[in-house]
Amino acid sequence: MNVSFGFSQTKDHIRAANEAVGQAMIGLGNIPADLAIIFTTIEFTHPLVLKTANNLLGEIPILGCSTLGIMTAKGIFKHGFAILLIALSRQMFLNVASVKDVNKKTGLIAGKELGEKLLYGCKNVRRNLSIIFSDGLIADATNLINGLQENLGRSFPLVGAGASDNFTFQKTFQYFNKELLSASCCGALFGGGLNFGHGIKHGWKPLGKIRSVTNSHGNVIREIDGRPAVKLYEDYLAKDASELARELRRISIFYPIGIYLPGEREYLLRNVISIKEDGSLVTQGDIAQDSKIRLMIGTKDSCLQAAAESCADAKKNLMGQKARFVMVFDSASRFSLLGRQCVRELEIIKEAFGEELPLIGIYTYGEQAPLKSLNYLGRSYCHNQSINVLAVGGQ
Amino acid sequence: MLNLIFFIICLVIAGMGIALLLKMQRLKELEKSTAGLNASLEEMDEQAKLIIRTDIELNKTQEELDKKIAGLSTLQKLSREMSTTLEERQIFKKIGNEYLEELGFEKSSAFLWDTLAREFHQYLNIGYSEEESLKIKNAVNSDKDHYLDLMHGGKTASSVFIPDGFLPKDKVCRLFQVNEFIICPIIPQEGNQGFIFVGTQNIETRITEGEREIITILANQIGQALDNARLFEKTWRSQQELEMKVEERTRQLTEALEKVNIISKRKSDFISSVSHELRTPLTSIKGYAAILLAGKLGAVPDEIKERLGKINRHSDELVHMVNDLLDIARIESGKVNMNIEALELAPIPEKVGDMLAEQFKTKSITFSINIPADCKKIMADRGQIERVFINLLGNALKFTPEKGAISVNARCTNKMIQIDITDTGFGIPEEAQDKIFEEFYRVDNTINQEVKGTGLGLTLVKHIIEAHGGKIWVRSKIGEGSTFSFTLNCA
Repeated sequence: MNVSFGFSQTKDHIRAANEAVGQAMIGLGNIPADLAIIFTTIEFTHPLVLKTANNLLGEIPILGCSTLGIMTAKGIFKHGFAILLIALSRQMFLNVASVKDVNKKTGLIAGKELGEKLLYGCKNVRRNLSIIFSDGLIADATNLINGLQENLGRSFPLVGAGASDNFTFQKTFQYFNKELLSASCCGALFGGGLNFGHGIKHGWKPLGKIRSVTNSHGNVIREIDGRPAVKLYEDYLAKDASELARELRRISIFYPIGIYLPGEREYLLRNVISIKEDGSLVTQGDIAQDSKIRLMIGTKDSCLQAAAESCADAKKNLMGQKARFVMVFDSASRFSLLGRQCVRELEIIKEAFGEELPLIGIYTYGEQAPLKSLNYLGRSYCHNQSINVLAVGGQ
Repeated sequence: MLNLIFFIICLVIAGMGIALLLKMQRLKELEKSTAGLNASLEEMDEQAKLIIRTDIELNKTQEELDKKIAGLSTLQKLSREMSTTLEERQIFKKIGNEYLEELGFEKSSAFLWDTLAREFHQYLNIGYSEEESLKIKNAVNSDKDHYLDLMHGGKTASSVFIPDGFLPKDKVCRLFQVNEFIICPIIPQEGNQGFIFVGTQNIETRITEGEREIITILANQIGQALDNARLFEKTWRSQQELEMKVEERTRQLTEALEKVNIISKRKSDFISSVSHELRTPLTSIKGYAAILLAGKLGAVPDEIKERLGKINRHSDELVHMVNDLLDIARIESGKVNMNIEALELAPIPEKVGDMLAEQFKTKSITFSINIPADCKKIMADRGQIERVFINLLGNALKFTPEKGAISVNARCTNKMIQIDITDTGFGIPEEAQDKIFEEFYRVDNTINQEVKGTGLGLTLVKHIIEAHGGKIWVRSKIGEGSTFSFTLNCA
């Protein structure tokens, strides 16, 4: 496997695409690329960026999405165009697919459709990993993953990122070959012996009593312990619903809801994205009724510690093989929480994998990965506020 | 038998009753224990609430502090950038996208009020297209009174606080396409005032007191930079005017100097030609007087002889004067070829001293030469320098009374040799000291009335010295004597 990385900070979309794609193609030399993964910051004119990239890449399949910031070994950039060209070794293969308008189809149906498309031609061969990029603003993201797993298999390793914008939560973009998509999901299925290591951690710790979700539907928690769900935050923070609504994003980043999952080591985090008039909490990702939940608390230090643990898990899973590149899907909430310390998080990743290793990362609205990173029998979930590190090895 | 059975049944029932009582007792204990645990759990939960409430305050403070540190660091960089320019528009251009983002905003606009045109001009536009920027400019000018009130009141408006009389928050947000904003007046001490707008679309941002303070500092910095730029422009304009005046004056002086040079040249040419014209008849007069004196045309009576002698002597003086005039004119016009060479200095005054030895003796004047070893050689034209010494020593001899002293001293200063000729003569009045080097000037005193002179000697000396690249001056005190000093290049 060969990989090559290109990046441009230029704000002009055509020049940016030219510079970054040029760098990546030169890096790969004469080896033909099998996949191009593209990340762009939100302010670009996306149709033109994608068109320029397609013109330069020819028939190479493209996957990617928009983001509020790009992480590279050189730093964290709020403006930029990044590309990773991957040339698979002979025994490996991949298939790319997309599903459009997830909101119109329901998450489950869209997920099944994507799973079916990804499996096309790969049903009787050894499959290793699926990477997906979905719209981070999709409400039914959990069911999208559930639907996908119904076809790919519950314990099939699935790593993904929710595309983001610049915290306006208006619109995000997904790239699939020549198509510029929104409210959609695209992905790749790798097979034939792709070696990879994965780690996902958030760093938040449970605090207070275990509570029970007594009434919920999808990503709306109506009642906790028989009381309107908002009372949980009102009690702990001593603020009324209107005060909470004003500071919700901030509060939700610092104190998300943690779902206890039987048999899993970590609590699964859920950001609260809005409060309904009846006191229901709307979360980023589903919370099943009767779930046991707790309020979580995190600090910058615990976030950074989680980054180190996530990298350590990813490295451990490579089973001693050298990583060829590292892909990081880091929560936008962490970006917001860490502030200037984001650079420290990047340093931790670089310290773990080495300064020279190609590194590409984005800040996401939701991350998809199995909780149990040490064995891949764990099912994949939609995570919030987590750092999702994927180290890909290969010969 | 029945009794036995009844007794056993009673025993079993009693046993069961006791067991039940014991179980109930145990259950009560368990309930008590559970209640205790629940109470502890509730207590812990209350503690958790306290932890979270403290934590949220700490985080808030930390965030505010982080923002302030980042803001101050950015302000410091911006201040340094702005101080590098003294042009109004350039000051605003220094506020780049990167700095704005570091301050936590991505859109900004700044306006200055033009008092003559009575409208706001835009000086900064970040995060807007040209079309959007024009729309904002027009809207600001439509609501100019609100913005002017804000400026004149020195108030800051923000999405958190709108001063009385200013536009509603929603209107500002819609116009500038932001969710949160700060508008701060720019108030320089002189000239046009204005305001700066910064805003963000980020719905997570809430304007804090710290951010308001930072933007106020930024507006003040811009105001100071504008003051500096305007002061510089004012000073620069004054300097330009002054330079223009100096240039004009210099031009006038140059023209006047050119005219003076032309007149001077004409004068020299005139003197030169007149002198030439005079020399021929003078030679004839002197020749004929000599013939007559020699008696070649017959014996001449003594009275006529005496008169002829006077004609001859005056003719000599006139020839001498004409020659001096010619030399001056030649030197002035650069027609004299100076044969500058390295010369031993001492032999020159010694030679002239020998020439005048008889006269020194007659007047009992002590003549001395003191030339140190480091002043031995000069760069000069031998003939011309000899004339300098002849003139200066001749003058000294003329004006020094009997039993006086004349000395020649030399000293080396900065690659030049200064030669001082000092006498113990009558001295030169202070008011005449600057004029004695002018042509035909003679000090008005009794000696000059008795001692004859052309009034051209010192002028000639001055010209010769200047032609050598030197200077000549005099220091004198009435009754004490004079010192004529001149400089020549060392060899």
